[in-house]
Amino acid sequence: MNEFASQVPSLMQSIREGIPYFLPEIVLIATFVCVIVTDLFFPGKKSVYTLGVGIAGIAVSLFFSVLQFQALSEPLRLFHGSLTIDRVAGIFKILFSGIVLVYALFIRGNTRLQDHVKGPGDLYLLLPGVLLGLNLMAMSSGLLMIYLSIEMISIVSYLMVGYVSDSPRQSEAAMKYALFGGVCSAIMLYGISLLYAFTGTLILSNPAFMNGLSEMPQAAVAIAVILVLVGIGFKLSFVPLHFWSPDVYEGAPLPVTAFLSTGPKLAGFAILLRFLDPYYAFQANGHATVFDFMPVLSLIGISSMIVGNFAAIWQDNVKRMLAYSSIGHTGLLMMAVVVHSANGVKALIFYLMMYAIMNMAAFIFAAKIEEGSGAINISDYKGLGRKFTLEMVCFVVILMSLTGLPPLAGFIGKVLIFTAAIEQYSSTSSVWLLLLLIVAAITTVVSLFYYFKIPLNAFLRSSEKMENMTPKRDFLTYIAVVLTMLLLVWGIMPGMLV
Amino acid sequence: MIPLSHFMLISGLLFCIGLYAVLSKRNAIMILIGIEFMLNAAILNLVAFGKYDKQVMGGQMFALFAIVLAAATVAVSLAIILNVYTYHKNIDPTTIDQLRD
Repeated sequence: MNEFASQVPSLMQSIREGIPYFLPEIVLIATFVCVIVTDLFFPGKKSVYTLGVGIAGIAVSLFFSVLQFQALSEPLRLFHGSLTIDRVAGIFKILFSGIVLVYALFIRGNTRLQDHVKGPGDLYLLLPGVLLGLNLMAMSSGLLMIYLSIEMISIVSYLMVGYVSDSPRQSEAAMKYALFGGVCSAIMLYGISLLYAFTGTLILSNPAFMNGLSEMPQAAVAIAVILVLVGIGFKLSFVPLHFWSPDVYEGAPLPVTAFLSTGPKLAGFAILLRFLDPYYAFQANGHATVFDFMPVLSLIGISSMIVGNFAAIWQDNVKRMLAYSSIGHTGLLMMAVVVHSANGVKALIFYLMMYAIMNMAAFIFAAKIEEGSGAINISDYKGLGRKFTLEMVCFVVILMSLTGLPPLAGFIGKVLIFTAAIEQYSSTSSVWLLLLLIVAAITTVVSLFYYFKIPLNAFLRSSEKMENMTPKRDFLTYIAVVLTMLLLVWGIMPGMLV
Repeated sequence: MIPLSHFMLISGLLFCIGLYAVLSKRNAIMILIGIEFMLNAAILNLVAFGKYDKQVMGGQMFALFAIVLAAATVAVSLAIILNVYTYHKNIDPTTIDQLRD
């Protein structure tokens, strides 16, 4: 035991030093406890108090995150390197707080969740927990933190999908999600245990990590890395780990779907960047390649773009179509990850930001239209453009942005990603990048076909059965309209962000 | 003293048994048991290799966290499976397929 005694003071010191930087997360933990207590006293229909406490806590945490982001000059390593706070992590944290706030209001405005027998209180109390997981995911730079934060999000997401199980379809979606997620996380844990076995450390930035890997046979490293990528890929839902996503998106309540398609996916990209960092840094220092990510990530990107965009053409259910389209977007974003230059990361973050706004707003409008007219399929949207003019016009704007048409923010995002990839291609002339670029260009055209089915049905076709449909507009509609405006503003003046 | 390769061999075997159970069983609870096998294979690896990491004890710590998280995941999954049973009177994931293309 005595050999450790000398170490204890330095360990404690590093923990003490880390705590001030951990303030946004400490606030979230406190909020989590408060929300549980509030939910006990105000159950069922009185859950609005629970929501109030939750939103207040998240807002305070967002405030501290912003302060931290402004004060940040160079990357900070906390708690012996298991957490790293840098500019990228700071942006992701602010973005996650925004997503969770919109998600909270989305739950509040969704009649199906509000009318549920149990009330939405338990769903609100998951919010600080999931935000804590997302924040940790953005910052984690140790294998333990990566596993812990991914599991944290997964468990909360299973609960969210299964929460209002009022139909066989929804319980089915929850079961598929939980089983698929469980298998993926077990595979990832095995990969992590192999990485630990090869290197003897859990900290990615520790020099022993890369040195240990470079001494191992390449095949062994490849197996371990691919096993870890399986776990990250489950969160990102790229091909071939995408099977759960259309089913879960269709089965889950709309607010939950909107959250699943944004929050965990963005966090997955944050963690993927962090996981790839040491490998690229090691290569840049003139060492031999330990594991060549280029072909693996490019193949994933190409197949995701093809499967996502082509499968979306045949979908009639709006949620399923958006699910496949989000797989396609993941493929496009993988291209930015493959580029991995400073411009590539910048383009990735800009696009993720826009993607989060677009998806949130699209799902809010889909929910509003479903509430007003009962239409869940694209073929039921016939003639709805006349009754739901505001909703439909905004929806179409968002879809145009998802396609990447000017003058919307989605177009700027695509331009940034394409320029970063072309720059990288002209300096390395790698075949993989060329293939990615070609596939991305073709699938962008393909995506026009399925996105434009919605305005085609809504505005150009008519239907008789729309007498007793009235759009119900509330605060949620206006939030989504504001989000749509943001897309337009940032599409015309991208200089405000880039 | 048992050499490390024995631990790796056993953990590899456990992992494969778990994966086989996941892929072949037609009962959601059996699949959960398969997942548990895979998790324990990884935990065995972590603890065995923790021997070389005496100062930080990363592997041992990780094993503790992994055990707790595995329990949490199983608790949630069992609740979900119970829910599935009330609606479908059946927990065979291959026959429950209302959601599909």
